Amino acid sequence: MKLKVFSLWLATITLFGACTKDESSGSEGLSVSFYIPDGFPQPVYTFQNNKITPAGFSLGRKLFYDPILSRDSTTSCGSCHQQFVAFANAGHALSHGVDNQLGNRNSPGLFNMAWFPNFMWDGGVNHLEVQPLAPITNPVEMDESISNVIFKLQRSDAYKSMFSAAFGTDSITVQLTMRAMAQFMGAMISADSRYDQYRAGKINLSASEMNGLQLFRTHCENCHKEPLLTDMLFRNNGLDSVFNKDAGRAVITHLPQDSGLFRVPSLRNVALTDPYMHDGRFISLSQVLDHYTSGIRQSATLDPLLLSSGIPLTSQDKTDIISFLNTLTDHKYINDARFKEVQ
Amino acid sequence: MKKTLLLLVLISPFVMAFSGCDKDEDDTNNTTGPGTVSFELTNIVGNVNVDETGATSYTNASGESFTISKLKYYISNVQLMKDDAVTFTMPESYFLVDESNQASTKLSIPDVPAGSYNKIRFLIGVDSARNVSGAQTGALTPSDMFWTWSTGYIFFKMEGSSSASSNGSYIYHIAGFRDANNTNALRWVELDFNGSSLIVDGHRDAEIHAFVNVMKVFDGPPNPISIASHNNVMSTGGVALQIADNYAGMFTFDHLHNDPH
Repeated sequence: MKLKVFSLWLATITLFGACTKDESSGSEGLSVSFYIPDGFPQPVYTFQNNKITPAGFSLGRKLFYDPILSRDSTTSCGSCHQQFVAFANAGHALSHGVDNQLGNRNSPGLFNMAWFPNFMWDGGVNHLEVQPLAPITNPVEMDESISNVIFKLQRSDAYKSMFSAAFGTDSITVQLTMRAMAQFMGAMISADSRYDQYRAGKINLSASEMNGLQLFRTHCENCHKEPLLTDMLFRNNGLDSVFNKDAGRAVITHLPQDSGLFRVPSLRNVALTDPYMHDGRFISLSQVLDHYTSGIRQSATLDPLLLSSGIPLTSQDKTDIISFLNTLTDHKYINDARFKEVQ
Repeated sequence: MKKTLLLLVLISPFVMAFSGCDKDEDDTNNTTGPGTVSFELTNIVGNVNVDETGATSYTNASGESFTISKLKYYISNVQLMKDDAVTFTMPESYFLVDESNQASTKLSIPDVPAGSYNKIRFLIGVDSARNVSGAQTGALTPSDMFWTWSTGYIFFKMEGSSSASSNGSYIYHIAGFRDANNTNALRWVELDFNGSSLIVDGHRDAEIHAFVNVMKVFDGPPNPISIASHNNVMSTGGVALQIADNYAGMFTFDHLHNDPH
């Protein structure tokens, strides 16, 4: 690989069968690492107290896909975060939790989480290590108590041996459980789309894609900042004029100026992660672009960048922008065997 | 490598024997050694003990009767003071006091340097740093005293029934660690030993007894809270801060035990 990779630290540890205590963990021969892709900023989660190991990553992966984390063992993290759509929930505006209850926000794609200063559409979760606790305890998602999750894990010999392999103790705690999940989630890096290859000078984009990129940089990049394709901020993009259904960021801050603001999502893999917006109201990228050209609703907290009557785009502009957005799909990421459920 | 290990195994009993000897000497002859201070809390309502079975009714200043079924709170950053200066800060001092677990109402403060102290100071709640540092351990293990949807510890939790409430119950979960947005429910408490000094010298019991009167949560001062107006308080700011100002005043020093063993 020609691409020059800058590393905060690079831990590539290969574990061979002979060294592995637990054959079912799937960590044999697994190569996992954290690295900073070319041009990416420093990550927020640095793994300083939680170095990635094959055993820790495998444990995190098993937890991610295990419905034991839900109250009735029906729903796992992977139920609403599916790899083939960059870990969003295919075809669901809102996801189903236990007892077939409907959530109230759209399940976002998961990647590059080590760069996020906070999580969720409202930013309510402030650290990668405590992120999984939110869906686990949400009554309309997995509806389980933290203490019961630990109780169930402690009953399992398979988990005991995986915790031993990962952390040198079979005393299963919330901290170790969350750190294993942080190892798995933090290693989920998506930075090998055609857009990335273009930035690295390895390929050329088509004329339409190039025009789309120029238009994107003019009209969209203020918020969907390269290379993560989000500025990590919360903004009101004019979806509604009243916010009594979901006040977004204000649910967390209680500030009137945060009413109707939601996290600017990363547009990486955006062609896969439909439906769009915090409530999944738009089913296609063309519908999203139509919103920005002619659907902006005025309100006191509307983002200043959208204060005009909308973004002026011709239909050819929209076609080209969508061509460009399709270059953000990272096929390698969605097919990466390391992130698949181990049967 | 093997030789080193062998050597360690061979000499370790001697090392342990010597250090054990030193320690014994400290305990018997040396009056300058550190000691453990016990900080014992008795949760009360007005002038009676908290009955967490819910069988006892109490009446607040608004004339509302209520019971208590759950009472938990965090104490952290425990410090001992001499005159008006902090002379000892317990490292990693995080305590979850839970009325349903009486052992948790007796806080152990180890390795206190020998000396005399006349005040104890502590934080109700968990300092902001530990609210933003990921999954913690010990008393800070995420539990039902942790908000998962808006990361942070619940500093104070009290629940029970009340006929004054529209739904027959009240739930107070008080949290918030940020000065920004005026949502900081952390409160420092400083208890004076009423002119007495607590002597720590490794020879004496050193126990501080205090009462925690949760009636103050409703009555204040400074903020009278009626259950009829506020039966559910589970978000930051606003009335949560009024309750925080109230719980800042619920601790009172009662007495010391400071006799030689």
